[in-house]
Amino acid sequence: MKKINVLGLITFIVIILVNLPFLVIIPSSFTAAGYLAFPPEGFSWKWYAMILDRPEFIDSFWTSIKLATLTAILATVLGTLAAFALSKYKFRGSGYINALMLSPLTVPSLIIGISALLFFTRIGIAGTFTGLLLAHILISIPYVVRLVLTGLSSFDYTLEKAGYMLGAHPFRVFWDITLPLVRPAIASGMIFSFLTSFDNVTVSLFLVAPDTTTLPLAIFSYMQETLDPLVASISSVVILLSLVFIILLEKVYGLERLFGLNSQSH
Amino acid sequence: MSRRLSITLLTAPALILLLGVFLIPMLLMLLLSFQDGQQAFTLANYSLFFQDTFYLDILWRTIRVSLWTVLATLVLGYPVAMFMAQASGKMRGIVTMCVLAPHLISVVIRNFGWVVVLGEKGWVNEMLMAMGIIETPLRLLYNELGVVIGLTDSFIAYMVLALATSLYAIDPSLNKAASILGASRARTFFSVTLPLSLPGIVAGTTLVFSLSMSAFVTPALMGGTSVKVIPVLAYEQIMSTLNWPLGAALAFLLLGSTIVLVSLYTKLIENKRYKEVFAS
Amino acid sequence: MAKVYDVELRNIMKKFQNNVVVQDFNLQVEQGEFVSFLGPSGCGKTTTLNMIAGFLEPDGGDLLIKGQRMNGVPPYKRELGMVFQTYSLFPHMTVAENIAYGLKLRKVNKAEMKERVDRVLSLVKLPNVADRYPKQLSGGQRQRIAIARALVIEPSLLLLDEPLSNLDAKLREELRDELKRLHHEIGVTTIFVTHDQEEALSLSDRIVVLNHGFVEQIGTPLEIYNQPASEFVHTFIGKTNRLEGEVVEVDGDRITVQTPEGMLIHAAKQSRSFTPKQKVVAFVRPEKIVLSQTDSGDAANKVKGNLQLASFLGSYTECEVKVGGQSLSVKIQKLIDKAAAQEAEKGIYCHWNAEDVLIMPTERG
Repeated sequence: MKKINVLGLITFIVIILVNLPFLVIIPSSFTAAGYLAFPPEGFSWKWYAMILDRPEFIDSFWTSIKLATLTAILATVLGTLAAFALSKYKFRGSGYINALMLSPLTVPSLIIGISALLFFTRIGIAGTFTGLLLAHILISIPYVVRLVLTGLSSFDYTLEKAGYMLGAHPFRVFWDITLPLVRPAIASGMIFSFLTSFDNVTVSLFLVAPDTTTLPLAIFSYMQETLDPLVASISSVVILLSLVFIILLEKVYGLERLFGLNSQSH
Repeated sequence: MSRRLSITLLTAPALILLLGVFLIPMLLMLLLSFQDGQQAFTLANYSLFFQDTFYLDILWRTIRVSLWTVLATLVLGYPVAMFMAQASGKMRGIVTMCVLAPHLISVVIRNFGWVVVLGEKGWVNEMLMAMGIIETPLRLLYNELGVVIGLTDSFIAYMVLALATSLYAIDPSLNKAASILGASRARTFFSVTLPLSLPGIVAGTTLVFSLSMSAFVTPALMGGTSVKVIPVLAYEQIMSTLNWPLGAALAFLLLGSTIVLVSLYTKLIENKRYKEVFAS
Repeated sequence: MAKVYDVELRNIMKKFQNNVVVQDFNLQVEQGEFVSFLGPSGCGKTTTLNMIAGFLEPDGGDLLIKGQRMNGVPPYKRELGMVFQTYSLFPHMTVAENIAYGLKLRKVNKAEMKERVDRVLSLVKLPNVADRYPKQLSGGQRQRIAIARALVIEPSLLLLDEPLSNLDAKLREELRDELKRLHHEIGVTTIFVTHDQEEALSLSDRIVVLNHGFVEQIGTPLEIYNQPASEFVHTFIGKTNRLEGEVVEVDGDRITVQTPEGMLIHAAKQSRSFTPKQKVVAFVRPEKIVLSQTDSGDAANKVKGNLQLASFLGSYTECEVKVGGQSLSVKIQKLIDKAAAQEAEKGIYCHWNAEDVLIMPTERG
């Protein structure tokens, strides 16, 4: 029993530590003072109002939202199609294709970013929104493929057979039976892609132009110059938004399942 | 025939993207790393690295920071994973949520939070000074310690995940078997739990090491100019100095040294017995 | 004009890569018939069912349903009903939605749909579960719903792929009787795949016994049981005692076989003819042997042995009697108490009639 308590105590401390940044940022964003301080001095919404006066944050916020939304949709479509092929048909070379689909995960973002910059410069899309979008789709596809494959691995294909026997055409079977049953996996792939794109710095860093800057990059750049409560307020907005998506993920799919931790239970 | 057509139609879009945005660019980058300013073939970008201790020092710093991060995530992550393995389903869900969810929020924001906590006028220094333990603020940021703290926060989720996966796979009745044979709790841990979680340790440490080696944001934000690591150097070569061949070569050297170190490490650990026990 | 059967298989053959898994399968199923495919796993019964359903294409021969050649017709155009071993109810649809799915595909109007769903639910005696989801039902209930879903479209043929295998013993028996009742009530032509001989015997009009892709025998349950076409059929259908020996005397219908140890077995008329000195195998079912303390009685076969083991199994007791070097399995209805068992260990007689002995030539190879 004593052992559980020691483990529990360490676990509690680690939970506090990994959440400490948010526990500090959110209160600091309400400070009335002109500088960063924790605990905050006074209470005010003024640093939130200040965001509205900073077009670089507003513009980059919309760029990020647009980018993450498009990334989520396109990565989900591409990744889901590929995952269906990989799950349903065991064909020669499917192992290689599977490995290839997951490979952007194993190569450092730094290299993905630099190589995309070099290539995009050559074909003339460096610094464009299109280039940024392509790179973001690339880094999101592995997550979608992995999640949808996991979803399909527990799919009982005799359900499709049952559908055929009742007279449903293959497309109808896909639409009425297969798709609804792997929808949680697809939806979580989509949400995860959104978060991946919305959070990304290292790949975006090499691919943005001043007019295509994303929000995390805007914060990154701003932070390197100045540290004031404005960073705290804009960060709080991002935390809140991310939290919405995290809760959505938990509801749609479950974080334990998302991270592959639900295989056994006591 | 229609089977082949289906496979092609389903995989082609993703494969084209991988080819155009990933494989071809990587190849191009590799070629470029062997070019000089006049686009002639050269090994200079790589040999420079071994001639100048400036670069070797930076590589060593990158490795050192990564190793400390591995150690910190392992020491902090193992008890968490063990707690999760022993906890009930509900408690396990809560801990999973609390440990892994922050990982889904941007690293820039998490680093910013640590800057507020650890800065010269940060919460930790203010508190220690108020308590009279120190008189001048401690330097917790813009040095290797700061970077290790930031990286540990960033990557502990991966370590916990890897460890938890292997700890969940251990049959709980093994603990009972050991204690009925007379092993104390500590003895059971060292002779049963720890050896059986070795695959998780190997997976977690190699993953965290690789991620730390190539981390850019945290060293840039929490290390400042004083803790230059290879990714930061590569970034400077690409974006500021505009020496793309050197930048590309640095990135590949980083990747190469990571791969070499990781494979040496796994060779060392995954001996014959390991392979027999954990063969799939 | 040739007779139109509900299902007709003509020289059906199927191979996977170079392995022939079904060969020379010929069968005609009459309207309303209940036919079982019985055999061990890998015998080709499920493969054949999948060919009838349309999930597999025969590599040779013709498949006809109601006189129409079905080779190449996809499953969704065959208008058949099928029930799977794993129930295969759509987990995201309620019971009513599951059953109505086939009707929806056939564009049946709402009112009729509801009426037919209700009717089929009361047919399977589950009128109150329409709004539940499959996972809220027990295994037995799920399989009833799966049957209802298959029946509601009024299929020309009902295919049952080991529908009882996932259920525990008691439920299995219950649902087996239910299937019998349903078939009696609606009379839909049914093909039932099973590896359980009891299920096949109790449900079927005819049984097709399969082994290694070959049809061993097609016949009524009684024919299969009493006149097995091969040793495989006899041993697959229920427990039996196998005694090897040699024919020593053929006297009209009467045949006498001697085992190497000298035990004589008297048999009555056989469907095959035998000649003296022929190597044969004699079979006696355990339930045909009677235990007696004396050798009086009019059974043709009486041998003395010693009781080795008596296992009480509820409705009957299974005994093992050692006769010379041979062990005979005997199934008796009577209880054996301890005293009687001790007595029987010292000596007991096994009686059985000549009519209950089956003789077959020793199979070569």
